[in-house]
Amino acid sequence: MSVPHSGFIADRPNRVIPALGLLALALVWILDFGVIQPNRIVSGTGHGLWSALGWPGAAVVTVVLAGAILLSIARIPKRYLLLLGLIGASLAALPLLLEVFAGRHLPADAPYARSSIGAGFWCLLFLLSLMLIEVLGRLRTGHWLQLFLLVALSGSWLLLFRGDGLESLSLVREFSARPGKFEQALYTHLALALGAVSISACLAFGLALKMTRSPAWQRPILALVSFLQTIPSLAVFGLLIAPLSALSSAFPVLQAMGIRGIGWAPALLALIAYSLLPMVRNTFVALTEVPESLADAGRGMGMTEKQLFFQLRLPLALPVIIEGVRITTIQAIGLTAVAALIGAGGFGSFIFQGLGQAAMDLVLLGALPTIALALLADALLTMLAASLKPTPATA
Amino acid sequence: MIELKNVTRRFGETVAVDNINLTIETGEVCVLVGSSGCGKSTTLRMINRLLPHSEGEILVDGEDITTMNPEQLRLNMGYVIQGTGLFPHWTVARNIAMVPRLLKWPKERIDARVHELMTLLDLDPQAHAHKYPQQLSGGQAQRVGVARALAADPNILLMDEPFGALDAITRENLQLEMLRIQRQVRKTTVFVTHDIDEALKLATRIAVMDQGRILQHDTPENILRDPSSEFVENLVGKQDRGLKLMSLQSVRKVMTAHRDSRHPEPGVDTVREDDSARLALSIVLWQGAEQVPVVNADGQEIGFVTRERLMQGGA
Repeated sequence: MSVPHSGFIADRPNRVIPALGLLALALVWILDFGVIQPNRIVSGTGHGLWSALGWPGAAVVTVVLAGAILLSIARIPKRYLLLLGLIGASLAALPLLLEVFAGRHLPADAPYARSSIGAGFWCLLFLLSLMLIEVLGRLRTGHWLQLFLLVALSGSWLLLFRGDGLESLSLVREFSARPGKFEQALYTHLALALGAVSISACLAFGLALKMTRSPAWQRPILALVSFLQTIPSLAVFGLLIAPLSALSSAFPVLQAMGIRGIGWAPALLALIAYSLLPMVRNTFVALTEVPESLADAGRGMGMTEKQLFFQLRLPLALPVIIEGVRITTIQAIGLTAVAALIGAGGFGSFIFQGLGQAAMDLVLLGALPTIALALLADALLTMLAASLKPTPATA
Repeated sequence: MIELKNVTRRFGETVAVDNINLTIETGEVCVLVGSSGCGKSTTLRMINRLLPHSEGEILVDGEDITTMNPEQLRLNMGYVIQGTGLFPHWTVARNIAMVPRLLKWPKERIDARVHELMTLLDLDPQAHAHKYPQQLSGGQAQRVGVARALAADPNILLMDEPFGALDAITRENLQLEMLRIQRQVRKTTVFVTHDIDEALKLATRIAVMDQGRILQHDTPENILRDPSSEFVENLVGKQDRGLKLMSLQSVRKVMTAHRDSRHPEPGVDTVREDDSARLALSIVLWQGAEQVPVVNADGQEIGFVTRERLMQGGA
């Protein structure tokens, strides 16, 4: 890869950030920034940027976005560092806007009234995040800075949401109405998704090894795991109920362990079945793509098959195997939400309760953490795979 | 010493190596030459048991290789292949250290050996030890491949078309390098190539192979002077045999020595005493001269060689 002189890149005006910034400016002024609901179910009245935040708030938002646009096209040295600071700080402080909104519009005498987040705020959040990613790309930052930013932003949001100013926010209301439930859902969700991924990783590793050693097994194994993937997820959850209930009523030991037709057991089994295909395929491809000429050289130098595996095949295959784990983890975190339908718990239970009660904020309370978990897993495993890449890029 | 006695190798119905007998003496370079599919690589790979032989006996220093542990056998045989086979996730130093590490040498000894070998193969340890194979040129990578094979000081070196993928100039350099190293370390070497010129240059003895059989096993000079069959005659090139023979002969053999060495006249083309007679003839022909001065390694003129003598010597 030919890397142009970095000063050259810095001097060219950026096109992505102005585009994102203009879009953000337009959307934040056009769409409702926040909504005030008289109670949980009734849809409320929307407020645009001006009405929601008043002129000082609206001015701050506009100035920050305009500032980012101007910075990105200005010929200033270190402008990407300045942009990083500006956008990072804006993202960290974003919940403050919701506090201002709630403070201005929430009627003091209505205990059931609540504020909720409007499309304008979501767009602002999304587009600012994209701008941050663009800036990070331009700065060619290392993984550690990205991780630090992630922790800093999450920490700031957590602090602001835990504070008093946002307790009228409908999301926070739903959260506070279920003390302990959120943590429990988080742990259940993580345990199910990560448990399924680890178990299927071990299984897949064994299956892929079997496939590389005896080619006759390749087609049947791949056919089986592909078939498992083709059954709709809901159907798998449903199909497992009958055999598992039969098993648990036949063997009381299983019942004592908590294995029933519904609950975590069928959910875990289904998640494992779903995780097998990407896991097996990636591990198998990774192991077979190690050139045979290298194995031949190693063998010719006196390496045993075991040494060849641990010193040659596995290290070369590892980044691709991790890639399989990444895909599988993201998929499993999403599917675990669906598993709530058969009583497995996790964030999915909030989503389905919310749908049942027509309370969109409860749905969000389940959906947003699920998305956040998936993004987090993606970021961490991408970093891991990158750090395991065996060789630096060729000079 | 490596002995192959009535060795046959079959792949299903096809016979890849057909009842061959071959003795490779300690310290000699035996080059197996022939067109692709003639069984030369198969023969090489049977010697380190990467392929089992179907029939016959292979002895290394008098011991039947089928009675030895294959890994132990291979640890004592350097192995160089076309396209290097260097591990891409290991640095140059780690690649060279492969066999010493398998043999569990202490770290200081390995480091010293890697340094020594890189110097021997004209690779600057400071500049290259921590590079990865992809960051090297083809010639450098193949040098590392040779260093890796020599690392644990094996008695035997097996080379399977090691220079086949290199450009002509790099190949020539590495061939010269190999001759130099071979003079220093004297390994029993089995070298496979399809390039007859490479074979003539490197071999102490050449085994010409075709369709799984050895047609002729002899010194380069005898192969050129007295080919045993039409196939061998065609392989070595019927028409330019004269010139090839001259390539085998060093100037030292045909020169007339001065009584005392002296400084060569400036501006006159010279040949070195270990250059080939062919090069001397080329200079004489090109310059239309009757003779060309011969210098030694220090650049002192020690004699001259005449056109007449060259013509006689080539016959």
